[in-house]
Amino acid sequence: MKITQQTTENTLTLSLDGELDASSSVLLDTELTKPEVLDYRKVLIDCQRLNYISSAGLGVFISHLQRFQDANVKLVFFNMQEKVHNVFEILGLDTLMTIVPSEAEATAI
Amino acid sequence: MPFHQKLKAIILPFTLLSWLILLTSTLLHASPAAAARVGLPPEWVTLLAQAFFVLGVFLHQRSRPDPLRGTDFVGLLRQLVLGPGLLAAACVGLHLFERFVQYQQPGADRLLFAGVYTINLGLFIVFLAYANYAWRSLVLFRSTPRLRRDWVWFEILLGTTLLFRLFGWTPPAPVAYFILGGVAVFGFYMSGNQKWVAYLNRRQKWEVVFMQLTLLLCLGVFTLYFLRIGQDTQSVAPESQHSFLLLMVFFAGFYALAGLLVTFFNLPTVGVFEQKREEILGLQRLTQLIQKGQSEEEVYQMLFEAAIQTVEADAAWLDIETDEALHTGQRHVISEAHVEAIRTLLTDYNLGQIEYLNNDLPNSSGFRSLDLPYGSLIVMPMRSAKRHYGALYMLKEQRQSFDRENLSLLQTFTSQTVLSIENLQLVTASLQNERVKEELKIASSVQDSLIPKDLPIDDWFEIGSHALAAKEVGGDFYDFLHLPGKRLAILIGDVSGKGITAAFHMAQMKGIFHALMQENPLAKDDREKFPVPSKFMSMANRALTHCLEKSSFITAALYIVDYEHGGFVFARAGHCHTLYYHSIKEEVSYFRTAGLGLGIIRNDSYEKHIKNQFYDYNPGDVMVIYTDGIVEARGADQEEYGEERLKQMLEHTYYLEADAIKQQILNDLNEFSKGQPMHDDQTLLVIKFKAAQPEANI
Repeated sequence: MKITQQTTENTLTLSLDGELDASSSVLLDTELTKPEVLDYRKVLIDCQRLNYISSAGLGVFISHLQRFQDANVKLVFFNMQEKVHNVFEILGLDTLMTIVPSEAEATAI
Repeated sequence: MPFHQKLKAIILPFTLLSWLILLTSTLLHASPAAAARVGLPPEWVTLLAQAFFVLGVFLHQRSRPDPLRGTDFVGLLRQLVLGPGLLAAACVGLHLFERFVQYQQPGADRLLFAGVYTINLGLFIVFLAYANYAWRSLVLFRSTPRLRRDWVWFEILLGTTLLFRLFGWTPPAPVAYFILGGVAVFGFYMSGNQKWVAYLNRRQKWEVVFMQLTLLLCLGVFTLYFLRIGQDTQSVAPESQHSFLLLMVFFAGFYALAGLLVTFFNLPTVGVFEQKREEILGLQRLTQLIQKGQSEEEVYQMLFEAAIQTVEADAAWLDIETDEALHTGQRHVISEAHVEAIRTLLTDYNLGQIEYLNNDLPNSSGFRSLDLPYGSLIVMPMRSAKRHYGALYMLKEQRQSFDRENLSLLQTFTSQTVLSIENLQLVTASLQNERVKEELKIASSVQDSLIPKDLPIDDWFEIGSHALAAKEVGGDFYDFLHLPGKRLAILIGDVSGKGITAAFHMAQMKGIFHALMQENPLAKDDREKFPVPSKFMSMANRALTHCLEKSSFITAALYIVDYEHGGFVFARAGHCHTLYYHSIKEEVSYFRTAGLGLGIIRNDSYEKHIKNQFYDYNPGDVMVIYTDGIVEARGADQEEYGEERLKQMLEHTYYLEADAIKQQILNDLNEFSKGQPMHDDQTLLVIKFKAAQPEANI
């Protein structure tokens, strides 16, 4: 799992590369827990290279969901592969989280 | 070997008989009066009797078990000095007695003279045989097969030569010299085998030197006796007897002398040998401690004592470093204040915890200012690749007292110690591990008891079930509950994560299921006595809010089948979609309904995210419910089993019985993920609805 960061004035983009399983989700959790994350208005997650997400990986997003909402930070997923999207959908997360097809749409939000 | 044993049995009486013949013959020679009456025996009888006696004594001695016990050389020599030493003393005593009698009555009894002579002859030969075979044990100590072969040849050669001398046959001069020289060289070569001397310590060596001197003295006594009376024997024994006896002395005396010299010249080096021995023993002791599984404390103490003993340190201490702090573990003839002072000094010089040898401490100004009486210092750290265990400090008063060997020896000691310590820690860890495993086993059996063993049986449906945890305990669960009014509740679920945490939540979920599925006595309608699935999910979500950690969630699906009316209602809380075979449409499809997992939203707004679905089933319909461990199982190329393949499996097997369908799916799954590790718990339930049995309608 590789996580790369990209920042603009009020947007933080995290690109996930590889499989988000129990061990790599710790990395992601460390990234999202940093207090400066809440300084942005939007946190975009680029899922283009995300091949797999385990329940532990989903748990990381779920645990930060409320925190982001309280701080009024938008969490947006884009470029999600079909099978990963399926996992979000089965769990019902597609109704709670913003998942858009492309980066352009993500930035437009 | 019966012959060999028979021979051994007759040797002793035979030898005794030979000696008696010899005695008779000598006495007859000494007493002309008796000889006149009985007749003087021919000389060859005497010689033959003597030869047989010698042969008998030597053979007897040869056939006795090896007198050397282990490496108890001193014991062997002590026996040799005590036994034959007594013989020599007896010889001297007899001779003195005889002299005394002769002094009292000059020219008197020649019979006494002859008797004493024969007895002494016997004693001497026994002494020689004893000494000879004691030497054999020493020569052949840890010998090569070649040396053992050489020894046999030496015995044969010596025996032959002796027999020649006995019978008074002397080969022509050059041949005799050649043979004698050959025997001498052979004897010299044999005497060179003094390997045993190396195994003695200083005290033993001194003992051995004195015992060999005593032995030589005994030999000397016998030799002197026979030399002294040599001229006088003409009348009682053939002359050749004496030259034979004197030659016998040669080897015994030579070996004792050679042994004496070797031992003597080994004395100065014995210190070095002993030190090396001490080092080896120290190492052995340390190694043995590992197997005994003693405490760390004892291992450190062992190291400390062995190190002091081996390098003969005047003062020493051992620093032990634990996770929290460094402390002085052991001290030897040095005060804590001095230890502290030297340690601080070394730390100032950045020399703590590294391998360091200083043979000229007074030369260092820092050390001089401490005003301590030490000249040399060794610091030997104890460390492994993983961590530091402390350091060993050795001090000596003299300068230039330590050498490279000390350093490398201490290095061996410390690494051995570190090995022991880590070994001990491993043992402790593995015991701990064993206990955890044992507890997991218990947890596993407890969890096993939470999974229903008896599947509900009725005419309206059949059920096949399968559950397998990836680890000892898992997070998957399913349960059944019969409700009044021909209804059956089926719950399936999966706690995020695996292992113990998941197992706890799974047990919790089962508790919640049984608690919520209780009849509500206040309900007006029969249908409202039990919560509908969506209601159940919101209540469960609320119950879980406070006990599920933030990043955990549970997916579940609850089905309530009403088989009186042929329908079911279900709610899916983020759980895998239900796979369904419609017998009328002859079609397999997933119920793609919406529904959020439990524990994701932890307030009342959850109710908006969960819905009930109603469905009327027909006989022959098949419902497959499962956990993600099934569809996310990995194949050889890391691809997932997937919903599509599961769907195809049902398309091919829907007509079978529920248990057979389940088995077919599992077979296909196992085939697919053959050789791959199991990532997640797997649960699979197959429910097949059937037409009512004819009698049920009557």
